[in-house]
Amino acid sequence: MKKYVSLAVCSMQNTLSYRLSFVLNFLGSFIALLATYFLWRAIYDGQSELAGFDWNQMKSYLLVTFFANSMLSYYSESGITNKVMDGTVAMDLLKPLNFQKARLAESLGSCVLEGLLSALLISVLAIAAFGIPMPVDGVSGILFAISMLSSILVKFGIVYCTALICFYTTSGFGVIWARMAVTNLLSGALVPFAFFPDWLRNVAMALPFQGIVNTPTTIFLGMSDTREAILLIAVQWFWIAALWLLGRSMWGWAVRQITIHGG
Amino acid sequence: MTRTTLSVRNTPRRILFLYRRLFGQQLKAILEYSSDFYVMIGAAALTQIVGFLFLWVVFSRIPVIQGWGFWEVAFMYAMIYFSEGVGSLFFEGTWRMLRLVNMGELDRYLVRPMPIVLQIFCTGIGMNGIGNIAIGGAIIGMSLYHVDIDWSVTSVLAALVVLASALAVRIGINLAANCSAFWIRTSGNAFPIMVHNMGEFAKYPITIYSLGLQLFLALGVPFAFVSFVPAAVLFGKEDWAAYGWLSPLAAAYVFGIALLLLRIGLRRYESSGN
Repeated sequence: MKKYVSLAVCSMQNTLSYRLSFVLNFLGSFIALLATYFLWRAIYDGQSELAGFDWNQMKSYLLVTFFANSMLSYYSESGITNKVMDGTVAMDLLKPLNFQKARLAESLGSCVLEGLLSALLISVLAIAAFGIPMPVDGVSGILFAISMLSSILVKFGIVYCTALICFYTTSGFGVIWARMAVTNLLSGALVPFAFFPDWLRNVAMALPFQGIVNTPTTIFLGMSDTREAILLIAVQWFWIAALWLLGRSMWGWAVRQITIHGG
Repeated sequence: MTRTTLSVRNTPRRILFLYRRLFGQQLKAILEYSSDFYVMIGAAALTQIVGFLFLWVVFSRIPVIQGWGFWEVAFMYAMIYFSEGVGSLFFEGTWRMLRLVNMGELDRYLVRPMPIVLQIFCTGIGMNGIGNIAIGGAIIGMSLYHVDIDWSVTSVLAALVVLASALAVRIGINLAANCSAFWIRTSGNAFPIMVHNMGEFAKYPITIYSLGLQLFLALGVPFAFVSFVPAAVLFGKEDWAAYGWLSPLAAAYVFGIALLLLRIGLRRYESSGN
């Protein structure tokens, strides 16, 4: 355990030493948030509610989504892919560490900074324009915190499995990019599920992506009662376990690939 | 760095010839790694389709946003991706400037009797551009079909001028943003990516933004001329169509700044020390 903690700390320091890139990357996604904010503001102009969301709820939705999305950003994701792409993964095989757990430790390490930075930006925004979003009551506040942390683990599961696909393809960036597009749509990051046609909502609910954005936002906005909220979190944990196992078996397979090519 | 005058003259014909040759060489290189670019083309297409679904979902709730209909906004949205695609496919080299500067590879370019900008443009090919151009082109085509446009000789000419300027503005912005490589000495091109992300604003009509942002998108980093102004001209929006006349000026302005930055940057450039 101790060695994984030091890996997490190491990754945090690493993020800090490349802070300019980190902050600029972060500002890039912030621009996207601003653009969607203004778009929704124009959409709500003259509408009191759309698909069960009023303007205040939509603003909270945007902020919570931004927070969930800024965790495990492109910055830490590409770290895993690069290991596979540039072959440093060979060095990791020599270390007495579980590859999957080590990557999780590193991702969580940089998540601490990502969380802090986005929390800071969100508070500035909340005070300046959005209005301060609050969970509806204490219980849903606690459930929201739990679902937010679980959301990071679901995302890690998806990111990790996608990164291992790079053993197959020779393109790291393309794979990440495709994953981002799919995740954006099916997690509810682009638009709440309530706006989807029924069939698309059903598809999205049956996949792991909804655990990243839909679950924490639904709980935050109090759109589910306590029982439903607990059920949603249980579904997140089902996916965390399933993706972890999938990742493990993919890794077992991928490592055999390396051995074959290594001769 | 001073350059000696050589007897070759860079006529437009010679430039085109050189561009074709340089591009051809890059194409040969990239075709060696085919699985890579299939993934890139697919990813680019997927990203754009997902965003298009977003617009469609939103517009299925309300038909018009501040006087702009679904297909009109879809056109702006697609212009951002289409122009990005043209930038990646034919001018990808701008995105490799960081490498050229950090690795000292620019040395090679400085001694050749060819314009340096041309050589930078031809430093690579982004196959993902094919995905962007195909899907973007398809959405642009569909929106032109769905919106009632009064076609005439003048409107076609105006459209061509505005669209060509839109592409030039986009490529100029890429070039200018990537000149940051001379100043920001990091391993990743986070700054140009951030500028690139400002294109997000121009996926929607700029009238939805606050005045400050509108001015920034028109005069600062003029993404408005990539999507919004062409849409206004094509769809005959009276309040904004007149800005179409400024399109070529905007292109000249962006390229002027980009070339100026390149020139100042080259003066700072320290070649590889061997």
